[in-house]
Amino acid sequence: MSNRTVLDPRKALGAVALLAFALLLPLGITDPARLNFFILILMGAQLGVAWNIVGGYAGQVSLGHAVFYGIGAYCSTMLALSLGLSPWIGMLAGGLLAVVFALVMGWPCFRLKGHYFAMATIAVAEIVQILVTNSEFLEGAVGLSLPLDRSGLAAMVFLSKLPYYYIILGLLVVTVLVAWAIERSHIGYYFRAIKDEPEAARALGVSLTRYKLIALSVSAFLTAVGGSFYAQKEMFIDPGSVFVGAISIKIALVAILGGVGTLMGPVLGAVILITIEEYSRTLFGSTGSGTDMIIYAMMIILVAVFSPAGVMGLLQDLRRHLPGAGKTSETR
Amino acid sequence: MRFMVGKAKGQRSATRRQVITRFVATAALMATTALTGVMFGSSGARAEDEIRIGVIYPLTGAAASTGVELKAAAELAAAMVNKEIAAPDGLTVAAGLPGLKGAKIKLIFGDHQGNPQVGATEAERLITSEKVVALTGAYFSNVTATASQVAERYGVPFLNAESSSASLTQRNFKWFFRTTPHDDLFVTNFFTFLEDMEKKTGKELRTLGLFNENTLWGNETTKLQVRLSDERKFKIAEKIIYPAKTTQMTSEVQRLKAANPAVIMQSSYLGDAILSMKTYKELGFSPSMLLANDAGFNDSEFLKTLGKDGEYIISREVWALDQAERNPLIKKVNDLMRERSGVNFNGNSARSFTGIAVLADALNRAGSTKPEDIRKALQETNIPGSGLIMPWKGIKFDASGQNELGQGIIVQVQGGQYVTVWPTEVATKPIVFPMPAWDKR
Repeated sequence: MSNRTVLDPRKALGAVALLAFALLLPLGITDPARLNFFILILMGAQLGVAWNIVGGYAGQVSLGHAVFYGIGAYCSTMLALSLGLSPWIGMLAGGLLAVVFALVMGWPCFRLKGHYFAMATIAVAEIVQILVTNSEFLEGAVGLSLPLDRSGLAAMVFLSKLPYYYIILGLLVVTVLVAWAIERSHIGYYFRAIKDEPEAARALGVSLTRYKLIALSVSAFLTAVGGSFYAQKEMFIDPGSVFVGAISIKIALVAILGGVGTLMGPVLGAVILITIEEYSRTLFGSTGSGTDMIIYAMMIILVAVFSPAGVMGLLQDLRRHLPGAGKTSETR
Repeated sequence: MRFMVGKAKGQRSATRRQVITRFVATAALMATTALTGVMFGSSGARAEDEIRIGVIYPLTGAAASTGVELKAAAELAAAMVNKEIAAPDGLTVAAGLPGLKGAKIKLIFGDHQGNPQVGATEAERLITSEKVVALTGAYFSNVTATASQVAERYGVPFLNAESSSASLTQRNFKWFFRTTPHDDLFVTNFFTFLEDMEKKTGKELRTLGLFNENTLWGNETTKLQVRLSDERKFKIAEKIIYPAKTTQMTSEVQRLKAANPAVIMQSSYLGDAILSMKTYKELGFSPSMLLANDAGFNDSEFLKTLGKDGEYIISREVWALDQAERNPLIKKVNDLMRERSGVNFNGNSARSFTGIAVLADALNRAGSTKPEDIRKALQETNIPGSGLIMPWKGIKFDASGQNELGQGIIVQVQGGQYVTVWPTEVATKPIVFPMPAWDKR
């Protein structure tokens, strides 16, 4: 791995171009359903990048991220409903609550390794879902509805889709920047050391639990923020929509499909996964024959079979083997 | 989890052959992604005189089989409105759309997969891309919640025909209408039914044993039952909330048996319902009445598995096939349904059919496809029970959009059939009471 203290100008240019494209994209879209599709991609990408911090860089596969997502959604919504607090503050509060939860949950769970850690995260998420379902304070299974009449920037409720697009784009940029900063800092190296050779890392004086907890906390915070955004967008949450295992799987899937441990892998994964999901449903969903799910599943199987390192891994392999591309082959 | 997390060790230096395979795989993936994207843009041409109605159901996923039935029922109703199939005279749908010069309605289906976010996405797509004038669906209460939120924002009427969560009509929505009775009403019906039974039989039915499962539904039901028994002076002898999908119920049933209530009120899904019946028989426990809250007790598998042991249980329903015997109109519609899709109506599909009928009736009276006109017409809906295939008094919406004239029915298993025993005006058979003991059957 080369020492990357200097920014690669080509990469920086690429990032700026990508951001400019994302910023200008909605200008060409008049159809709210189409814009909503791009919002879904950004939502998936944001969660995937957040998951990647703990699941990718630090190699601690969590299959219970819905718990942080749900905490974020419930925290901002409860604060808005009971105290009339702006979801912007509620979002941060949800993030902090998720961090606290991550620390409490991580302490015992990080004693487990590999598959066992993944199983523990599933169990924790299930427990929380059951608790929330039975909590009278949180309205249990009935769920929480945000009132439609309070709209505007402070209430983060809009009739148009455009503000949602820019908010989630902003959240994604922040999330990517956090991941990027971690990737480049010593913490990022610690994470990768913990993932590849935990024993060696420990021998060199890296506190495994401490850095795993840092990874999980950062990831939890960002995932919770994504959950708050979901609540603001759909304006109705119940345990069945924000705490379910399907959310955990989807978050992990976006990152794994795109390429774990790579900065933009989850973004690419979200583009592919959400596109296939949405369009196959639009095209075949109304037939009731399940064609959309078959196509969706086949894509995932294809990637899993041909490239366990995700689509990003495929692209890098190709680049390495294309003539004259030797110089960039070091990038990860 | 290593294999998912990072590159496998030997993978860094792929052979040429592997690279080619992977290249093909990537290309295929990218092509599919691009292709699905392109195809989306080209929605089919639409005729000018067709009125498009968006219908959102779970067409894939765990509830797909229900969704497909709902779809068939909605399509049958649309075919009747469009006069492609002759509807029996007297039925609301038979009127067609003379108010719109005989225009045709076209149902555009969306699949929500049981996911609230997908439901909202589909609602938005149907409104903005497919230009539907009204929406209906979505069976799942939480999906109805998000999808109707979208309709409310866009100012498009949303007619819900089959979601029973009471909170849906407590949101003060302007564009939301619900034809089916909600859960509170169903549970209230139980108590009214018990009071009726007391009057009729002269027996005390005041001690209750609540036996409900522990997910959302069971918990909500328990809360409501406790409140209502307080209000109506019933006594709860035992209250058990058991873990759903449990593998044994012996201790729970022993507790019930010890408390010896006159009536067991039970909410269980299929597996638990069957297990509880087997345990009741094993332990020889037979209360005067077993009053079940639909779900597992009304599943077609329930009687298939239990056979004779499933006899005499009493359950709530929204619809029962024996209604067809009572009312020749219902029989004719059910025959048409069976001809077209090979299945009889059930509580869900009958309500979907009714939903489309109500929308068509409103469209016809509105004489326009403007959302505001349709909303006004829906508010003025007044369909008598005789024009419906439901055992209701009719359809008339209150200020919150809830149909005031809907009611649940109570059925009993008699001779391997669910027969309607209450309310008296729609009953087809007298009730068997008390439930015969296990050794006297």
